[in-house]
Amino acid sequence: MSGRRRPQVQYPDNGAYMVAAYIIVAVVVLLYGISLAVRIKKER
Amino acid sequence: MAIALVGLVGVYVRALVFTPIERTQGPAQKIFYVHAPAAWAALLAFAVVGILSLVYLWLRDRKLDTIAESSAEVGLAFSVVMLTTGPIWGKPIWGTWWSWDARLTSTLFIFLLFVGYKVLRGAIVDPEMRARYSAVIGIMALVLVPFIHMTVYLFRTLHPDPVLMKPGRPALPGVMLITLLISIGVFTLLYVGFLMQRYALAVLRDVREEEAASAIP
Repeated sequence: MSGRRRPQVQYPDNGAYMVAAYIIVAVVVLLYGISLAVRIKKER
Repeated sequence: MAIALVGLVGVYVRALVFTPIERTQGPAQKIFYVHAPAAWAALLAFAVVGILSLVYLWLRDRKLDTIAESSAEVGLAFSVVMLTTGPIWGKPIWGTWWSWDARLTSTLFIFLLFVGYKVLRGAIVDPEMRARYSAVIGIMALVLVPFIHMTVYLFRTLHPDPVLMKPGRPALPGVMLITLLISIGVFTLLYVGFLMQRYALAVLRDVREEEAASAIP
């Protein structure tokens, strides 16, 4: 019996760009949060 | 602030694991779930600066100037996210990191305007004069915010049209739309959290400056 297979979707190979963007967002958010916390601590 | 950070982790999980990959753009399309909310948060922050600047010139309440200053810095942080994730999406989709079209150029312009705002604030010692001059720049930037939104309609640009803030129904399938809405909510929370922290810092600085000024005989 030869079952019909669903055609496999071929996505563009650009996952590295996605990973880079998500890393940058996390880094900017964390660095800014840390910089605020450090500056507040210094002022106190 | 902690809730917003946990929310951001939730957005990552939702966007990367539970939201389907778009067929034509591939995984790079998922950059949209952080780029668009960051742009929203940046423009919200700059709009808040403009509105508070207007009210400051009317009421002359120092507190309004301090919140505007704080919002400007937070807006700059979100602008960095917007201006870096945009080109990272543009390279695989458009084939170029940057295009000098109306949307991208005006966004870069408002970022540079607020860099100038920060530099100006650092250069003026007199608090009254600093607040007045900064308010003028803040109001100029407020005019730019709706202009930036309208650029995709007013000019021929590479940048995609809005999917939410437009007439008619959102141009996204349900699952993707929910991810985008959650992300917008989380970035708004992040904005509020950062703004509160930055405002606390500005108040502490003002107190220290006043103490230093009163200590001079």
